[in-house]
Amino acid sequence: MHHRAIIAGLSATLGLRAIGAGAQQARAAHDAAPASSSANVHLMAHVPLGHPFTVSGIEMEQELSRPYVYVSRMLGATNSAGFSIVSVKDPAHAKVLLDWTIPDAELHVGYGGMEGKYFKLHGRYYYVQCFQFNQGSPDADLGAIVFDVTGLPDASKVREVGRFHAPKSATATIPGGFHNVFPYKHSDGRALMFATTLSGTYATIFDLEHFLRGDADQGFVSRVPVPYATGRYHDFYIGYDPATHQDKFYGGAQPGGYFVFDVSVPETPKLLTSIIVDRRAIVSAFGRGHTITPTPDGRYVITETEYQYSPLRIFDLKPGLDGKVDAITEPIGAWTATWQNLAHNHEVRWPYIFVSGYEDGLQVFSMLDPAHPTDVGFYRTYDGPHMAGLTQQMVPDSEASLHRGTGSVLNGAWGIDVRNADGLIVISDMTTGFWAFRLDGFAGWNGHRWGMPDISSAQDWDNGPDGAKKGAHARSR
Amino acid sequence: MRLRAALVAALVVAAPSDPHRFALTSTGRVKGASGVVRLVPASSPFGVAVTADGHTTYDLTLTVAGLPDPPSLGAFTAYIAWIATPDLGSVERLGAIAQGRPVAGRTSWNKFVIVVTAEASTRAEKRRGPSLLVGRSPSATMQSFADHPFYNTGAPPF
Repeated sequence: MHHRAIIAGLSATLGLRAIGAGAQQARAAHDAAPASSSANVHLMAHVPLGHPFTVSGIEMEQELSRPYVYVSRMLGATNSAGFSIVSVKDPAHAKVLLDWTIPDAELHVGYGGMEGKYFKLHGRYYYVQCFQFNQGSPDADLGAIVFDVTGLPDASKVREVGRFHAPKSATATIPGGFHNVFPYKHSDGRALMFATTLSGTYATIFDLEHFLRGDADQGFVSRVPVPYATGRYHDFYIGYDPATHQDKFYGGAQPGGYFVFDVSVPETPKLLTSIIVDRRAIVSAFGRGHTITPTPDGRYVITETEYQYSPLRIFDLKPGLDGKVDAITEPIGAWTATWQNLAHNHEVRWPYIFVSGYEDGLQVFSMLDPAHPTDVGFYRTYDGPHMAGLTQQMVPDSEASLHRGTGSVLNGAWGIDVRNADGLIVISDMTTGFWAFRLDGFAGWNGHRWGMPDISSAQDWDNGPDGAKKGAHARSR
Repeated sequence: MRLRAALVAALVVAAPSDPHRFALTSTGRVKGASGVVRLVPASSPFGVAVTADGHTTYDLTLTVAGLPDPPSLGAFTAYIAWIATPDLGSVERLGAIAQGRPVAGRTSWNKFVIVVTAEASTRAEKRRGPSLLVGRSPSATMQSFADHPFYNTGAPPF
């Protein structure tokens, strides 16, 4: 069967209205003649980091004067749980500054370091590394470790300043660690951090200043619930909406779907709208919410669900935000790099979507027309066999086989980040390590240049979100 | 010696099916090393040996094979066996390992981990050297179902 027909059939099966014809044509072309990259994507650096399945998420600092990238590390077969710091001072000669491993790593059980993010507070820079260890392992109740990284590039000055613990974080009484965190410069001036476990039906909000000063409750502010407590948040995004002057939380819950909350007053989150399919959520395609990222204006969201063959789906939130529907139940568009595979995380710099596409490596598409996304460029960071990724049945610390067909599509590019100041793109690949790229015509990003708010995952730690009224939600202290 | 190694290997293979035996596996620092722990209820004139607060007491015997001479790994002269709670919150010395001789100990912990480290002295009282072998009591693998993949829609946690 011709690939285009398969895609069309898949679209119908998934209830999608359209997949851009341009995207289909480009996809069919590179299926027929596999290439390692498109001509407009340029490799700057590749730094292998270690054994397959020891590499997970990635985070890049945004200030050009601090050219540091943090790569989360899983236990793997080499007990590498922790993180690596890569310097991109010279992007063409990226180098590892530090490999930090949790003490007694070889005695731990579980996945290890999953995702990490940085934040800035009172002139100092911090990196938060999430961990997930199993019950019965040391640090089973460890959510994240916070490091002061102000002293970089001198790696000897990186020091641990605190640990988030997540005891009894589940619906029962089990730990589970943090899967992901999202430090957020709130419009009220606070540096907050949202954190999720895969066992609790909520995301927890912490005040980072209170955490750093050693508050007994770790700076706890409140929780954003999964409506109806159907599932657990996996990833999330928090962004400011200058049009409504609201701080908004976007969370993907599995099972459940995707939920948007007003967290302008984070002590009392208010549900704004949902992307759900009612009780079919558990078995439906997009009921298993994984990752969700809005466009800078908050009108559209790009969503990911974690199963083979799933495209990234694009939803229009307007009917839900305007109160015209109780919930949004149908995507308006979708995109996939290769229909047999699966895209993972993504970064939105309107109109471009930068994707870490597991086996498909770096992928970039445009959603100028959200109903008809089109390919922009790609670079295959993963040149290993198809279907040789992790599975739920595969213990992550076992020796990786990397034999075709022995696993899942969960291998290759895991995480991605984009530096707004100059457009540098970085990828973490589960098997091949760290990568840095540049894309022709993308020398940086500022939303205003695209007629959008200057809102992305990158936080303005010094000034707060673009468009926020100074003191709009300022708290009296 | 070869027969002994084969015997230990056979015990390791057999270990998963017997809740009173469990294997020690290499942490990756040394190839080909392994071990097995055998648990026996401690003897008691009252039939079941328990502590004053009611915890069942076991005698354990650790046998290892395949470890190279300690100096080959660095500035070490001995291998020491330790018993610890799974979170490593409590660690106790079991004893030094002499090739060919089992290490015996006693515990009343419900869940525990056995660790073999390389140390600078046979008299080491604190675990400082690299961990070479590790094994968990069968009870330590029991987990709450609340974080079972079923409750996570079967999706891998990343």
